[in-house]
Amino acid sequence: MKPSRLPLVTSMLVLGFFYLPIAMLVAQSFNAAKFGGQWNGFSFRWYQELWARDDIHQAAWNTLLIATASTLASVILGSLAAWCIHRYKSRTQRIHYGLIYAPLVVPDILMGLSLLFFFVNIGVSLNLTTIILAHTTFCLSYVTLVMLGRLQDFDESMIEAAQDLGASWPTIIRRILLPLLGPGLAAGALLAFTLSIDDFVITFLVSGPGNTTLPVKIFSMMRRSSPQVINALSVIFMSVTFIIVLLSQRLSRPQS
Amino acid sequence: MKSPLSRLLVVAGLFIVGALYFASRGPQKPVLHVYIWSDYLAEGLVEEFAAANDCQVIVDNYDSNEVLHAKLKGGATGYDVVFPSSYMIRMMAEDGLLRKINHANIPNSKNIDPIFLGNVSIDRKMVYSIPYMTGATGIAYQKEEVKDFEPSWRMFERTDLAGRMTLLDDHREVLGAALKVLGHSLNSTDERAIEAAADLVIKWKQNIAQFASEANKAGVASKEFYLVQAWGGDIQQIIDENGDENLAFALPVEGFPMWEDTVAIPTGADNVDLAEKFINFLHDPIIAARNTEFNSYLCPNWLSYNNLDEAVLQNPIVMIPPALLKKGEQIEDVGPHLAKYTAAWDRVKSAQ
Repeated sequence: MKPSRLPLVTSMLVLGFFYLPIAMLVAQSFNAAKFGGQWNGFSFRWYQELWARDDIHQAAWNTLLIATASTLASVILGSLAAWCIHRYKSRTQRIHYGLIYAPLVVPDILMGLSLLFFFVNIGVSLNLTTIILAHTTFCLSYVTLVMLGRLQDFDESMIEAAQDLGASWPTIIRRILLPLLGPGLAAGALLAFTLSIDDFVITFLVSGPGNTTLPVKIFSMMRRSSPQVINALSVIFMSVTFIIVLLSQRLSRPQS
Repeated sequence: MKSPLSRLLVVAGLFIVGALYFASRGPQKPVLHVYIWSDYLAEGLVEEFAAANDCQVIVDNYDSNEVLHAKLKGGATGYDVVFPSSYMIRMMAEDGLLRKINHANIPNSKNIDPIFLGNVSIDRKMVYSIPYMTGATGIAYQKEEVKDFEPSWRMFERTDLAGRMTLLDDHREVLGAALKVLGHSLNSTDERAIEAAADLVIKWKQNIAQFASEANKAGVASKEFYLVQAWGGDIQQIIDENGDENLAFALPVEGFPMWEDTVAIPTGADNVDLAEKFINFLHDPIIAARNTEFNSYLCPNWLSYNNLDEAVLQNPIVMIPPALLKKGEQIEDVGPHLAKYTAAWDRVKSAQ
């Protein structure tokens, strides 16, 4: 029997649907025409214009700062949470797991709104810190889940063996836990980082004056700015995300 | 083994500490937070204002009135100056989001064009807002292709242009144009007037190629269409891009829809004093003229008209002469009467 071509065609269609719009956006960002109606030749004009804009530098800096801070916080808290849930199978930890899992299924808009009302009600003015806190809350869940997966393959008898041989906890952490769990930590961290730099809904709601991030900036430029500058910015933004994802895949590959 | 991860953690930690230190060293000068549509202030203005008032100006952008409203209503404070469109003012004021304007501190508010204020503006007494920019919907056409052009919505009855014209795909804009032809307000709530407007639009529909709010721009630029209903700002963009000398824009004598963006101070503002100075600065006749030229929209500042470039003064998209400005009207929220417009529009769309 001849193999059916249907799976191939379906895959091509699906992939085309995924990537054609992105490919068009990339192509348009090099189009010299201002409104992208027709092709006026290849040009770096929009990238130069982008480079000259201080507000975008500021937004990029904010994005980076928020992503780094919330990644760091969520990796530390998330891996500790994963350790507790994995190690102690008590009722409390089952509840803990449920609570950690919940933010993954709560819609962004609800989470953003509830955080916003919370901050406003306790009288905290919105600023970079509130965004970092908000990002940490949702990144934490992802990091915990990644770490839980990693911990399932982790052989705890190694810790006992090390203790038998007289290793102290700092040594165990440094020589056993970090090397074995490191790739998991790194994958969790990069996932958290990408989630944080890409987030729009929650960031938008909890940001205060002067805290514009790149996604919020791109969105607010839609109406009045040249679409080509937005295309150029999106291309750069997307490239960074792709590079991080590639990096994360390399890091989570088992070491030979 | 020194894990690369722990090194990464150290680097990240240092980065954050450094950044937070940098941030906490913070501005010693007073700060003005401006929340505005993107690319809406002429280049260099913000820097000039900051230098003149020895302050720091931080600009954030939003892309729709709904976003601005949601943000302020949600409880975000600290924005000192915002730029809502005029139809939002009443709603925002009722929600307690806007401060009343203290005109004693904004002396330049008397520069606002009285014709604009009296005929087009919504917050006519400038209680909560001061006009910032305005523009109109009109007719864009190819001069060489359209013989005997007249600035009238009746052009859509011309059978010699059949299939070469488009109307906007927006029920309030299109029915509004027809209402104006019939001598009614754009915001009429009279069912008979709205139905009569729908009948007129159905007549126009026989001659147009399609209802288009996007395709009309490229269409009229490429001469696929000869005459289209269009927003002035969109046509200005095409002219800026293509330098097309045959593409012209006109405002119909019967009247036409206009929009207005205003400048206002939210109740949650931290620095009302600087906010008032900033608004006053925007309505300095020279600054207002610069903003008009930068945006290709009109800042309805009476005194600034003298400072406009001759080319801008001759541009009907930007500079609306007083006689025509009187005929402009804003599309306002008609509340429950909107159903009448929707029903009329459904009839237009389904008519053969």
